[in-house]
Amino acid sequence: MSELFQEAVIISILAGTLRIMTPILFAAIGELVTQRAGIWNMGVEGTMIMGAFVSYVVATQSDSLPLAILSGILSGMVMGLIIGFMTSTLRVDHFITGLGLNLLVGGLTFFWFRIYVKGGHPPTFTGLENFSIPILASIPILGEVFFNQKPLTYIAILSVPVVSYFLYRTRWGLEIRCLGENPKAIDIKGLSVALRQYIAIIIGSGMTGLGGAFLMLGFSDRFQPDLTAGKGWLAIVAIIAGKWLPKGVFAAVLVFAFLESVAVHVQIIDADIPYQIFFALPYLASIILLILLRRKTNQPARLGVPYFR
Amino acid sequence: MISLEKRLESNISWVLFVYSLACIVGFIFTAFLLWSSGTDIPKAFFALYKGSLSSKKAIFSSLNYATPLILTGLATVVAFRAQIWSIGQEGQVYAGAMSAYFASLMFYGAPLWIHLLLVIAFGALGGALLGVLSAVLKNKFHVNEVISTVMINYIIIFFLSYMVGGGPWTEISDVNTTVYQQSDPVADYSKLPYLFGSTKLHLGFLLAILSAVACHFLIYSTPFGYEIRAMGHNPVALGHRGTNTHKTLLYILILSGAIAGLAGVTEIFGTSHRLKSEALYGLGYTGIIVGMIGGLTPLGTIIAGIIFGGLASGALYMKVLAKVPAALVPTIEGMFLLFFLCAGVAARYKIVVTGKDV
Amino acid sequence: MSGQALLETKMLTKHFPGVVANEGINFVLEEGEVHCLFGENGAGKSTLCSCLFGYYRPDGGSIEFKGEPVKFRSPRDSIRYGIGMVHQHFVLVDEFTVLENIIVGTNTEKWSLDLEASENQLKNICDEYGIDLKFNSLVRDLSVGEQQWVEILKSLYLKVEILILDEPTAVLTPEESNKLFKIMHKMGQNGISIIFISHKISEVMLADRVSVMSKGRLIDTVFPRETTPQELTNLMIGREVKLRVIEENDNEYDRSYPILSINNLKYKNKYGKFALNDISLNLYSGEILGLAGVSGNGQKELFESLSGNLNPDSGTISYEGKEIQGRSSRVFMDLGIGLIPDDRYREGLVSDFDISENIILGWQRLNDYTKGFFLNRNNIKRLAEDLIKKFNIMTPSSTVPVSHLSGGNAQKVILARELNHSNKILLANQPTRGLDLGVIEYVYNQIKLKRDEGFAVLLASEELEDLINLCDRIAIISDGEIKGIVEAKSTSIQDIGLLMAGQSETSA
Repeated sequence: MSELFQEAVIISILAGTLRIMTPILFAAIGELVTQRAGIWNMGVEGTMIMGAFVSYVVATQSDSLPLAILSGILSGMVMGLIIGFMTSTLRVDHFITGLGLNLLVGGLTFFWFRIYVKGGHPPTFTGLENFSIPILASIPILGEVFFNQKPLTYIAILSVPVVSYFLYRTRWGLEIRCLGENPKAIDIKGLSVALRQYIAIIIGSGMTGLGGAFLMLGFSDRFQPDLTAGKGWLAIVAIIAGKWLPKGVFAAVLVFAFLESVAVHVQIIDADIPYQIFFALPYLASIILLILLRRKTNQPARLGVPYFR
Repeated sequence: MISLEKRLESNISWVLFVYSLACIVGFIFTAFLLWSSGTDIPKAFFALYKGSLSSKKAIFSSLNYATPLILTGLATVVAFRAQIWSIGQEGQVYAGAMSAYFASLMFYGAPLWIHLLLVIAFGALGGALLGVLSAVLKNKFHVNEVISTVMINYIIIFFLSYMVGGGPWTEISDVNTTVYQQSDPVADYSKLPYLFGSTKLHLGFLLAILSAVACHFLIYSTPFGYEIRAMGHNPVALGHRGTNTHKTLLYILILSGAIAGLAGVTEIFGTSHRLKSEALYGLGYTGIIVGMIGGLTPLGTIIAGIIFGGLASGALYMKVLAKVPAALVPTIEGMFLLFFLCAGVAARYKIVVTGKDV
Repeated sequence: MSGQALLETKMLTKHFPGVVANEGINFVLEEGEVHCLFGENGAGKSTLCSCLFGYYRPDGGSIEFKGEPVKFRSPRDSIRYGIGMVHQHFVLVDEFTVLENIIVGTNTEKWSLDLEASENQLKNICDEYGIDLKFNSLVRDLSVGEQQWVEILKSLYLKVEILILDEPTAVLTPEESNKLFKIMHKMGQNGISIIFISHKISEVMLADRVSVMSKGRLIDTVFPRETTPQELTNLMIGREVKLRVIEENDNEYDRSYPILSINNLKYKNKYGKFALNDISLNLYSGEILGLAGVSGNGQKELFESLSGNLNPDSGTISYEGKEIQGRSSRVFMDLGIGLIPDDRYREGLVSDFDISENIILGWQRLNDYTKGFFLNRNNIKRLAEDLIKKFNIMTPSSTVPVSHLSGGNAQKVILARELNHSNKILLANQPTRGLDLGVIEYVYNQIKLKRDEGFAVLLASEELEDLINLCDRIAIISDGEIKGIVEAKSTSIQDIGLLMAGQSETSA
């Protein structure tokens, strides 16, 4: 256990925190936009795994990482379209829709993966490189933790203020927030509730797909069916724990990422403690977090309630 | 803009039509998936038939596969009828399997029927305990049941992984067995007996059918069932008029958990005969689909469970004979769920296309 | 008023599944007039307005604007023609500020929000009409009256020429209503034509013209100064009716020992506001105690406390001397306390259940209704059929889902259940809201009957006239406080109105 407290390990844990944070943050911030529009999308996990799988196939086929990332985003958007059709157009219960999508996509990606590898070894690819910010990266400790990450990590962090600005300072953001609280206020202005919900879901699911792509391209060199391992669900918990505010969501994601980073390092360093305990930690933490933060929720009033005229 | 208008009268033939349409579209998509993967479609469907219906053996195999699905489906029906979106069936299957396995070790040596009874009872108890946990989280701490049950699912899966992957229940053998993630085989006398001598249909199937019948009467003909249904339609009115809805929620989740726990027992002691994650994985999630497609009715769940059991049994043959990956099964299930959800909307509402909004 | 037709419908027809809401409506709004749509609940007034606003699309007939035929496919079209609407149930976002509520969905060109420019524009409008609002407060912190101003500002901000108000005074105190009518007439002078919906005869007389609606048809359009309230009411009902006159109330009962005694009840809602502020009341057997006040002033919280659905922060509720505050609704029901909640579909009924199932809601575990583990279907059905007959519920059978019943019949199901299972106290919160005159009469008669049997009745209503007719005593509630308790025999609407407006009275 004591190895855990060496400087190099601490730096590695912190740097790992930011890396692990990236995909969850993309998904959580994206899903925040979706939920603010009143859609309780439980299909984050499925959307993420689809983004990961599609970017895997494109990366191995084209050898172009930008193309792989782009296709991850696009596949997320397609998932968003399906969710939007079910929840906004058909008004099916949001929970069931999301669960159904998770089950479908879980099976579908696994099925396609098997077809893709045809019983042989899964093809591999070269993942995303780190990008050292000149000068800043050479600061001791901080440089290694903060300024020697993959570019998408910086973009993920940047997405927090950008989405915050979008939600609170633009008319689209105002209208999307209005949908979560009282969609009729949009409807009686003769504006389309569905159109705005679709936009929110597609933004959200696109970001989730991007998270999935990063999970694929930033950590691994081949696809595994259980790649996401509940990260999509953690994104949803982060939104609840963060009280539907961009900053709060960011903080909650950091907590989960830190715990998981610790778990990863424990597994490498110390074989005495069952590693499963540490892997269960983020999930345990999420329940505890929800218990502690239960007072004063800020949940949008019409979240998850299908809108009928 | 597309809006929905509620249909006042329910028209049976229209309802049948839309659900049949959903099935047909589902089959077309399935065929398309098989075609796109370069499979010989007739061969694949023949293999499906061979593995699920062609012989007594195949049929009984289908029913064995159906057993845990009917049970997790029932667990879904009980909770979802009350609009409690518990998806803890997955974890409850694991918990039931583990606590039944514990009982089989603990009460080793007891007379056969007492031993079996205890194993089954402990299975139900294990699932019920997880149900209590999510009920307490919801009632006392207002933790959304979807979230809490998913998190508990992950935790319990890691717990089993530890117990059979390095923990006390890991298989004892000369080689390093941690990687297999499984326990020793259960004692022969702990196994659920076969119903008709030589065939391999086990007691669990009877248990599943009896549970479904019991659930049917419970839901439609008892005060508790009344409360379950009322909770699903209008929990506010139920609570305002003298029913303690926290208690109702607790009892529902206990019942749902216990039934899901039984699914774990039947799978471990009826089919796989040793405790391992691989055997249990997905039973709970598939049960959600089974329950939903069964129209959230116990009798519909039996039918849906048997169909999906046949699919699972046939999938083995499809894998061997037509080289179709087994992952086709959850894909088909997920697809059918989504199509059935759409059909459900079409059955209940008229879909009206109105003018354009911006 | 120029006499020029501004907005006109010709043979306008609108159907809903199973209901004809509007049939052959020929309605004319003239420039600069204040036009009242008068009619009973369900007469089709709101539907007509929603068609004029483009929220509903008519199935037949046409709408003309300044003589030109127009098609309103959505409110966007009508907004373009300068039509605004204030809905009966406000369409506001509680968590938004006043400013955000007003500007949301108004700017469809630009990406960014120019909050400052909008605020300046609004300040000018407010100054002109003497409306006082803080633009940065959250709507949830405003009183109901202030929320009404926000709704009206939403339309004025869009520079409407026609403003439609659906029952605008339903949630206002008499004083606030007066202010609203002054502002409405001021708008008229500024060239804004107004349509407002009402079913209160006193307000109808304040309009320039009145269109009377009944059963989906427009009966006639008349000038109030050329007619009388009696004539208008006859038109509305379609037959000769007597306006209710005050009956001599000679009910005598013992006021020495209250069956229910409420002392210093306090409750702070989730926003930290006192919903119940030191409420004390005594309720005696054999009386009807009225609770007068605009909805949202604490009635709901009081009724919830008295039925075991809300635990007050402090204070006591004693039933025959025994404290029962904070106990469960089960306890209250078992003591013989019946409840008619204000939101009948949310709190009183399971709409998807049939009548017989609703008749036993809350009593499903009673021995009479069970047989061993199971429900005793025969007994339940027999009871339901009895009550359907006794309470005159219009339905083909006891197995019809309550959602298929009209509002009046649904209310009768609640009434039947509660009166059948309680024997001491009846709590009725807005029991006649949204019902036809016939059903209202029926409900009141049932309540009176029970009073005569020795029930203690607490009746909250916004219809002050009805309270004065029916009750023995009337308590006035406002802002979570009891502003006074008066004897119904010796009071008037004006007296009660003054108390509601916040003037406290010491001689109760």
